[in-house]
Amino acid sequence: MELQTKRRVAFPRYAEYNCAIKYFLENGLDVRYILQPPLTQRTLEIGAKHSPDFVCTPFKTTLGSQIEALEAGADTLIMTFGACRLGYYGELQEQILRDLGYDFEMINLTEYSTGRKKDYLRCIKRLNPKVKYAKVALAAAEALRMVEYLDEITCLYYKNCGFEMEKGAYRKAYSRFISALYSASSKPEIEMAYHNVQEAFDKIQTEKPAEPLRVGIIGEFYTAMDAFSNLETERKLAEMGVEVHRWMNISHRLLHYPGDNNLGVKVRDFCTYDMGPNSTANIWSAKDYAERGFDGIIHIKSANCTPEIDIMPVLQNISRDYKIPVLYLTFDAQTSDVGLMTRLEAFYDMIAMRKKVIR
Amino acid sequence: MENRAVIGIPRGMLYYRYETLWQVFFREIGVDFIISEPTRQDTAERGSALAVDEACLSLKLFLGHVDALVGKCEYILIPRINSYGRNQELCPRFSALYDIAINTFRDKGQKFLTFSIDSHKNETEQDAFLCLGQALGVLPRKAKKGYETARKEDQRLWKSKIQAQNALCSTDGLKILIAAHSYVIEDAYIGTPILEFLQRNHAAAIRADIVDRENACKHSPELSPTCKWELSREILGGVLQRKDKVDGIILLSTFPCGPDAMVNDILLRKLHDKPVLNLVLDGQSGTAGLETRLESFLDIIRFKKGLL
Amino acid sequence: MKKEAFLGVDVGSISTKGVIIDEENQILASEYIWTEGDPIGAVKRLTASLEKQFDKENYQIVGTGTTGSARQLVGAMLGATIVKNEITAHAVGTTTFHPDVRTILEIGGQDSKIILVENGVAVDYAMNTLCAAGTGAFLSSQAKRLGIEVEDIGGYALRSQHPTPIAARCTVFAESDLVHKIQMGHSKEDIIAGVCNAVVANYLNNVGKGKRIAAPVVFQGGVSKNEGVVAAFERALGCEVIVDPNGHLMGAIGIAILARNAEARRTFDFGIENTDFRTREASCGRCSNNCEIICVYKNNKLIDSWGNRCERGQVCAEQKTIS
Repeated sequence: MELQTKRRVAFPRYAEYNCAIKYFLENGLDVRYILQPPLTQRTLEIGAKHSPDFVCTPFKTTLGSQIEALEAGADTLIMTFGACRLGYYGELQEQILRDLGYDFEMINLTEYSTGRKKDYLRCIKRLNPKVKYAKVALAAAEALRMVEYLDEITCLYYKNCGFEMEKGAYRKAYSRFISALYSASSKPEIEMAYHNVQEAFDKIQTEKPAEPLRVGIIGEFYTAMDAFSNLETERKLAEMGVEVHRWMNISHRLLHYPGDNNLGVKVRDFCTYDMGPNSTANIWSAKDYAERGFDGIIHIKSANCTPEIDIMPVLQNISRDYKIPVLYLTFDAQTSDVGLMTRLEAFYDMIAMRKKVIR
Repeated sequence: MENRAVIGIPRGMLYYRYETLWQVFFREIGVDFIISEPTRQDTAERGSALAVDEACLSLKLFLGHVDALVGKCEYILIPRINSYGRNQELCPRFSALYDIAINTFRDKGQKFLTFSIDSHKNETEQDAFLCLGQALGVLPRKAKKGYETARKEDQRLWKSKIQAQNALCSTDGLKILIAAHSYVIEDAYIGTPILEFLQRNHAAAIRADIVDRENACKHSPELSPTCKWELSREILGGVLQRKDKVDGIILLSTFPCGPDAMVNDILLRKLHDKPVLNLVLDGQSGTAGLETRLESFLDIIRFKKGLL
Repeated sequence: MKKEAFLGVDVGSISTKGVIIDEENQILASEYIWTEGDPIGAVKRLTASLEKQFDKENYQIVGTGTTGSARQLVGAMLGATIVKNEITAHAVGTTTFHPDVRTILEIGGQDSKIILVENGVAVDYAMNTLCAAGTGAFLSSQAKRLGIEVEDIGGYALRSQHPTPIAARCTVFAESDLVHKIQMGHSKEDIIAGVCNAVVANYLNNVGKGKRIAAPVVFQGGVSKNEGVVAAFERALGCEVIVDPNGHLMGAIGIAILARNAEARRTFDFGIENTDFRTREASCGRCSNNCEIICVYKNNKLIDSWGNRCERGQVCAEQKTIS
């Protein structure tokens, strides 16, 4: 009986972070979380069909995912705020969904992101008027811990999975970890999942050369982090025998971010100002990989992402000054797997041959 | 003879918003300046060659204008504007503009000057002018006075421009409202031909962006509650204010403008009572296709009004 | 004892190229034919022609490499010892014959790329994004629109005095602009020269953006046969643009060299003309990605499959072998 009266809340699919959103909403706000199916070609197709032409691809993907959430029975949709066009997603997506005839309640965080605490609390109250703040705070802390674990394990996964002796061993352990996070409903379960995956990773035998090829991934906050959106660039590259590093994730960028000013001073020789959302972080990250002697950088963005387009002249200069190749990849609704494979293979061949000659 | 710094002002993007302010200011503080020539096809070609392929046409044109000034002045002025206040932001491209120029022209030995406004750092318009004065070695008192004079002149001119637009609203004949950024509609290569076409075809072109800005922004949430881009909010407010006084609305944007791609979609979904034409300018597509679309739009309106 | 030889096959969307080389990179046989939308048929014709030129008495093919957009399919057909992307193949082929090259420009049927080389090693590259403007397919469709044979484009372009400016940003815009210019009465020569300039401008604005193009510059791919585009490149870059007479074969030569350098060895004795190769598209259907899985059958036996995004698709392919 109680289950039926609970709000059925959903958030668009975003990499594997939905497990933490689910945990927070269910444990902290006592609502029912509707987990729509993972992103697929169909998600992108229905999203693209109803989106304006030149909008960035994550708009299309998340719109498709909202539709799939409504199909799965959600009655409340949450959309995030953001510094770039992301902050306007919520309003336009709501309008599009209403025009399509869907009936739902929209919680657009842009409306509440005033910087004032009372507005955030107002939003929480709207989700559940009988909410207990202590419970919310606890669930938030635990959900953030989950995000930290997820990011840490994901980093380890892409760094090492290309060197496993038994093919697929890392992927198996990683998938098990992800499933465990999605089903976790208490802190011990989160800790257990983390503990188990560490143990499983430790047991996997690897064969890594003393100086493996290392590639750093930088780019747009959604497309660079979401494996579906970048057609699994990281896994494809790793499996060729590459250590894949990606500094950009929620833990580094939001939870433990050193600040635009602190990173900004480190990239002053390339840019004077903060060039837009995530720009400073990405420029710093690229420079950091170059200084640490990485073999290459891959810049991942969706079509029409303004801030990522704008940092490209800077990345080109970093590439020249440090003699580090940068592969620029743009993903949109029509990007094919075959074209990506050709580019990645060629990139791999190039950095591998280069390394042999330079050594 | 005193050694005068020569400023080059690229005729693109925010130039159209600040032209009076900048020109009067530089004149008042006694600094020579040049402005790049109005956009031509070769400006567009140079800009396209310099800009990242996926960048918007407006940025390409801007870089073409910067290129035209390289080597012709001591400093090129590049504005860098992040936001005027809360929910008064600009497209991130305006935050990046200065560093895009620096990085694109790195090897040219050209010096640049910035004009920076950023509410997150409490930098106001006045600060931007004072910094500019400081960089040019002008006494703060003189710079402040120069800014005051420029601001008064700009406000006077702006008021008369608004009056002219309001007067157009009450004329007889076909009236078309144009919702576009000033750097699109006032650009000689991409915007002016559209104004001229409307004129030739006896339609009055009324600008949505030439309005009392404060009042427009106050009302913009009625059309789009969470729109935070100042330039878009001014246009939204202008559309709201004038849509009932015109016969049709043209949404004019450059390919692929980030804010316009979304805000214009909202407008298309909400403006039901007036014919709306959504025109996206590519810059290279030539005027042939464009004129056909404009002509048929006017025909439809005239037909509906029984004038055809 | 027969001497070792290596077969390299490059199958693109427009043309199919093949070479056989010996230990010293000498070309023993070569062929260049149109793919005509049928890579399997093209490779059969290609190998038949190569076989006629090939000295079987003294040589034996011990390694086979395939490259180009149909590399996987053709690799399965020929039992290739190495399958590589065309960027690597082109870089290896070109640096073998032009050891001092710094920039390789390549425009093919649907792809265009740029490869920057330092000390004989590729250090940076880029491929065209999103659309086909400025590629061979674009050039030949525009020629067709003007009623000109592809082979004659160069001659027309070189005769032009005042090339017509043509919009090059994207194929759709370019085509409408071209039609407009024809209507306005520009001469065929000027329009063709304009199209060549547009191809180059588009290439430099897209693929070549942000890349330092240093001489020596080698230009290859199908479009390098077009003197009009070569001249346009020389004008735009202000330096000589080298077109190797074997430039169109560079991908095939490169992949043959890679086959030689690799460890794998497998003899290839031609005789595939009478073998039945067939591909079948299967839709996975196990999730809404609905991956298109391509299965290759040799005499009705499944020899390879690809196209799946996840393991679920692999299971599909295996089941196919059983049934």
